[in-house]
Amino acid sequence: MHTLKKRELPSNILRYVLLLLGGAVSIMPMIYMISTSLKPNGALYEFPPKFFPALDTITIENYVYIFSQEKFYINFLNSVIVAVLTVVIAAFVSSALAFCLARFRFPGRKALFALVIGTMIIPGTTLIITQYQLASFFKLTNKLLGLVPFYVAWVIPFSTFMIKGYIESIPREFDEAVYMDGGSVFTVFFKVICPLASPAIASVSIFNFLTAWEEFPWALTVLNDTQKRTLPIAISGFFGQHQFTQWGYVFAMSVASLLPVLIIFICCQKYFVSGLQTGGIKG
Amino acid sequence: MKQTSIKKMLALFLIAAVMLAAFTACAEKAPDTAQTQQPASDAAVPADDKAAETSTATPEEPVTINFWHHYSAQSAENETLMNVLIPKFEEENPGYKVNAVSHEWADLHDKILVSASSNTLPDVARLDIAWVPEFQKMNILVPLDQQMGDFNDVAGQLLPSAMSTAVVKGSYYALALNTNTKILFYNADALAEAGIEVPKTMDEMFAAIHALSGTNANGQQVWGLNEPALAGWNVLPYIWSNGGNITDDACTTATGYVNSPETAAAVQKLVDLYANGEFTGFNSGAIPMTDGFGTGRYMMLLEGPWKTAELAGAYPDFNYGTSEVPAGSAGSISVLGGEDIAMFNTANKEGAWKFMKFMTSEYAQEEMAKCGQIPVNMTALDSQTVKDASFAPFLEAITTAKARPTVASWSEIDNALTVAMTDMIVNGADVQQTLDQLAVTIDGLLAE
Amino acid sequence: MELKSKRDRLQVGLLLLPGLLVFALFTIYPIVKLLYMSFLQWDLGSMLHQKFIGLQNYIDVLSDETFRIAFANTLLYTLVTVPGQMILGLLAAVLINAIPRFRVTFRVIYYIPVITSWVIVSLIFRYIFNTEGMLNYVLTNVLHLTVSNIRWLDSRWGGLTVAMMLGIWKGVGWNLVVFLAALQSVPQELYESAGIDGCGAFQKFFYVTLPSIKPTILFALVMLTIGGFNVFTSIKMITGGKPMHQTETVLTWMYYKAFNTGSFGYAAALSFVVAVTLIFLAVLQFRAMKQKDAANS
Repeated sequence: MHTLKKRELPSNILRYVLLLLGGAVSIMPMIYMISTSLKPNGALYEFPPKFFPALDTITIENYVYIFSQEKFYINFLNSVIVAVLTVVIAAFVSSALAFCLARFRFPGRKALFALVIGTMIIPGTTLIITQYQLASFFKLTNKLLGLVPFYVAWVIPFSTFMIKGYIESIPREFDEAVYMDGGSVFTVFFKVICPLASPAIASVSIFNFLTAWEEFPWALTVLNDTQKRTLPIAISGFFGQHQFTQWGYVFAMSVASLLPVLIIFICCQKYFVSGLQTGGIKG
Repeated sequence: MKQTSIKKMLALFLIAAVMLAAFTACAEKAPDTAQTQQPASDAAVPADDKAAETSTATPEEPVTINFWHHYSAQSAENETLMNVLIPKFEEENPGYKVNAVSHEWADLHDKILVSASSNTLPDVARLDIAWVPEFQKMNILVPLDQQMGDFNDVAGQLLPSAMSTAVVKGSYYALALNTNTKILFYNADALAEAGIEVPKTMDEMFAAIHALSGTNANGQQVWGLNEPALAGWNVLPYIWSNGGNITDDACTTATGYVNSPETAAAVQKLVDLYANGEFTGFNSGAIPMTDGFGTGRYMMLLEGPWKTAELAGAYPDFNYGTSEVPAGSAGSISVLGGEDIAMFNTANKEGAWKFMKFMTSEYAQEEMAKCGQIPVNMTALDSQTVKDASFAPFLEAITTAKARPTVASWSEIDNALTVAMTDMIVNGADVQQTLDQLAVTIDGLLAE
Repeated sequence: MELKSKRDRLQVGLLLLPGLLVFALFTIYPIVKLLYMSFLQWDLGSMLHQKFIGLQNYIDVLSDETFRIAFANTLLYTLVTVPGQMILGLLAAVLINAIPRFRVTFRVIYYIPVITSWVIVSLIFRYIFNTEGMLNYVLTNVLHLTVSNIRWLDSRWGGLTVAMMLGIWKGVGWNLVVFLAALQSVPQELYESAGIDGCGAFQKFFYVTLPSIKPTILFALVMLTIGGFNVFTSIKMITGGKPMHQTETVLTWMYYKAFNTGSFGYAAALSFVVAVTLIFLAVLQFRAMKQKDAANS
């Protein structure tokens, strides 16, 4: 035992060094973004460039500008609404689908599952033209809610796949017991499967939240009015008008849009691993 | 047994889905046919139709006019539009609301294309003059002179040279809204320090570029000339001023023009500048133009009137001067820019036309002149505001500036031109060979 | 599961309905419509009256020089970023799995790039890799590794290199989490018996760990290949396809053709060429893994 510990210590140090190195590379760009957002706009092409701004030149003028814009709050709220609706609807729809696929034998079940997985392969961006025509047929263009059904449709395959894998790992005896007591399919789904599969549902919901929160091409295509735009569109709007980039504003807004995601992630991060552990990928 | 009923349900559902799909496919076609007939019937009964529209269009519900533009969201122009012009228009025209939407320049073009593919166009849009022929080809613009009874009165108040940008195949598809061109901006301190006179000719300009390029006190590279891209808008002043061209004046052929000795000589000068490290800006990794100019890394550039406001905002202490585009063998020829205002054939025509008339009126044009937009309304052009405006140096250049070819395939020609210019300037491809090849490509696009 | 009553069958149907409805309407219908469009002449001149032109759009796509460049770029991007992310992610997962403390902290740190939106990270990378940017300053003026600034974003290979670095950097965290989950479900007894057989750490990794997590590797491989072909926002924000469309990928080129030149028919055909390629690759990957399986057992 004693000798084992002695041998473990140096290799653990090596592990920590490697991990720290990788961690530094992972967050360096974020730190640079934060430090740039604290510089005045004119100092962005200073010489020599500084990784951290000198203490006396730190300014919050970029944040003051961003937060003084009514638009920012509207864009932020838009992103929240779209992401939350997408997550809630997708969670219900795909766990119901996954439940039926995992538990019941009906003709066309295999074909349906293959179709669901198969569409995962087609890049969403390629469908933009026909989805736009569909959106305009349903009068969903230039509407915030027009984003939601399409986002839900995009995330259904992956969510269904993951949740189905998890549900299959739940022993069928739980279902049987409910049916014995005269319970219905609904009872099994809402009272047994949903609570038991909640780690997987939570885990895909975080993925879905990120997808909806950061989606760019579809929102850019469908939304017109400034007050309906989501954050990514608003951020890219600061970029490159007349060859003139207000990097300070861009990065201040980026930091502000990153924070909620970061908080959600840190709070829910334990679901990531537990949801994936027993999920579809286990095979 | 039990399975068959689920099977039935699934089948029923799939049938429903297919029917729904078929239904949407059919329904989509309906407005198409309606639309193609609309202009004809409108043209047939202009006057009575107008009267009928007015009586039905005094509604309790205000009619919303959707107006897309590319005034930058953070600009003074946008402030004026939102806080001065639109409130004034809505006050003068009760029953109408204007919903103005700002897009980035490139996004606006793409958005109009995608909206056209599914009939979700706005009523009115501010269009880059280079786009008008392209959109006309798509049959989405309203021929104003055929459909608007008072078109001649309105158009008569606007600068004829600017109105010429709205003509496609003999009809007017837009009203001129504002005009602009590019002039020379130079770093005044650097020129004075080097003892260089403000260049009056292309030769002097190239000599100055050569003299000002090098490294600064920090050891950073300094470039004499900047262009943020290599499209027609960027390279044409050098080509035209040197006697070269893209096509003949009728825009029917490029051979003998884009590959003429004069064009080749002008391009060769840019190629040499780049090879000597004296010319930059069009690569993705370059410093953005305003920042590079304001921080003394770019010494000279050809730019439009908006640069004045940008520099005042971002680099208020920066000392620069302006002058007309230096003259080459063919004189000082800059490129004519500007915007038109057009209505789409799905528009509420009466409201759209009212708004277009308002935007080109003396009042609106003078207000916009206060934030750097060069008016096309001739009364506004004579006003004191214009005489005092920061864009006064541009007014002279506009009289000699040339428009880019007004053809429907201009976007594609421009793309081919950009690719060829990049190949010659950045990759060092043979100038004459590349231009010969380009001439064939452009001829093909013009023939379509 | 056999369904007992009419009520149960109805309820299964009701549970299936919303998913099927959304799926059929917003995914299947657009795919079918797109397939139909890919056989039509649909461009600026024929926006309102499309006519059937058979396979012409497909011929146009496959004979288009820029499409070939875009396709090669996408393939290269996938071939580099997929193994890159997987190897680094697996390495980090193995390391984190072995350390006694700070596991969660490292997991969170490595995951930050994953949760940051593509728009933001692309802008950061564009700023860092600017010819006059921070990285070049460090390389040239501090470390003196190069005499003049490297023009990262100005050439085909430079621009793609930056996009690929971004792709790997952003993807490591996802792989880490996926592989960490897999590693933790490998039965401990396998390692113990391998230890008794005298296996060292490397042998354990290759003979115990890798075979045990093979389903996860396949899953990651397929998901990341799809992701690789999906590369869009980073290229659009970093190089915009410049110079001379040399850094376009299949999706940016499709977007350009559709929304900049109005060639909707061409873009639709391009979409299907990409989809067919991806299905082919996915089948190939499944086959390869299955064959290995057979060879092993």
